[in-house]
Amino acid sequence: MNCEKCQELLSDLLDGSLSRKDELNLNLHLEDCLDCVEVRTDLKAIVEFCREHRGEYEAPPNAQALWFRIRNLIEAEVSPARIRPDLTTREKGGWSGWLGRSWELSLPQLASLVAAIVVVVSLTTIVGVRRWESEGVNGSSPISDPVTALSAARSNITQRLLQQRQTIDYWNQRVELNKARWSPQMRETFDRNMRVIDQAVADSLNGLNQNPHDEVSEEMLNAAMNEKLSLLKEFADL
Amino acid sequence: MSTGSLIARYGFFRARVFSTSTVIAFLCLAGALGATTSLAQQHVTKRYPARKNVRVELKNISGTITVESWARDEIKLSATLESPTANFTPRQSGDGLVVDVMGDNRGRGDVGDVNFKLQVPPDSSVDVETRRGDINISNLRGGLVRAHVSSEGDITLAGITASQVIAQNTIGDIFFDGEFSRGGTYQFQSGQGNITIRIPADSGFRLVAAVPTKKFALGQFWNNGFKTLGDGRKYMGDVGDGRSSVTVTNFRGSITFLRR
Repeated sequence: MNCEKCQELLSDLLDGSLSRKDELNLNLHLEDCLDCVEVRTDLKAIVEFCREHRGEYEAPPNAQALWFRIRNLIEAEVSPARIRPDLTTREKGGWSGWLGRSWELSLPQLASLVAAIVVVVSLTTIVGVRRWESEGVNGSSPISDPVTALSAARSNITQRLLQQRQTIDYWNQRVELNKARWSPQMRETFDRNMRVIDQAVADSLNGLNQNPHDEVSEEMLNAAMNEKLSLLKEFADL
Repeated sequence: MSTGSLIARYGFFRARVFSTSTVIAFLCLAGALGATTSLAQQHVTKRYPARKNVRVELKNISGTITVESWARDEIKLSATLESPTANFTPRQSGDGLVVDVMGDNRGRGDVGDVNFKLQVPPDSSVDVETRRGDINISNLRGGLVRAHVSSEGDITLAGITASQVIAQNTIGDIFFDGEFSRGGTYQFQSGQGNITIRIPADSGFRLVAAVPTKKFALGQFWNNGFKTLGDGRKYMGDVGDGRSSVTVTNFRGSITFLRR
């Protein structure tokens, strides 16, 4: 495994959604590659920070409008910056020109600039954290009351399950195609094991229905779904 | 001699003849069946020179896998094929031996059980998997011991001091009897079965155990530093200096730690 592939899979590793084989390969690579270990450490720190501070940030009332405002602010800052190097190189050149220019700001201008930077950085951080938490769901409505939070969590789980079920359906079809070649004993074994995993999935879903924020049920659901996928893939080869 | 006693003696004789011929017929049938079975079975034994820390990889479809260490710098592979239709060609590479029954019979469906016995140097790394069947691995101290049963089969790992151990099945028990080495990683996962881990009393490890059935017994390794999550379905904590990492997951069975 190379570093590029390794770093692609690191996020899945931290989420615990990698297959055993990939995890094994990844761990072998991590044993030898200090750069990738460093990336993993950084990513882990970010993920843990986000998990620890989950729910501490209020979502902006309208994420899209906020993005437009941020973009306008950034564009407003970028435009003079594009012109400035030409002027400075013509007039004074390099950093000295830029530094000279910055001294021309009045105190209120400087205060406004600092305030604008603080606002942009804060808003970007808030939006970034919210987007990280919601795993890239764009334009999501604000989650302010517990009922909305509950339904959002449920819809998150449902959405993820739906994606996983599509993959599972694909492998299930492949298994069904090959099943005719198996001995009756092998078919019974497969069905019996699939029932055990399905029961584990059902138990976890039941736990999540009772409490959508139950991390243990969520972990068990992920593990059971991975196990199911793994079983299907392995038997689809037969 | 009366007529009555003659009839009785004839009846006794007839009964003896009948029972003797039944026994002979039964023995003939049993012999014929035995001969057929032994004709259908095929035994293969091969030896390969190996260095001390060789890596052995075995991917089986169905059947028992037994791996043992022995004090020789070579690998001995013994296989019993229950059906002659199964093919496999062991491949020896620079760093070890690969036996891929799965790959060698891909698309051929179920080719019957192949039971393997491997004898390897004690420092070997072993990576074995099967779709169905038991796995027994004993007395190894190499870098890796991985035992994976996709569906059902018990996994027994005895006398293991490898630095990385992975044991996983869906239905079946997992038994580990060995030592956790410093900095090592140990993962055990079962869908439905009992996971038993037997280790020395002075073991040091960081444990993450998830068991929705709440059947969890840490025995004398328990301490007040352990965190219980999800109403007793998950446990996290350090035992001793926490120098190795142990992850145990069991969906519908129990997890038990025993002191050796």
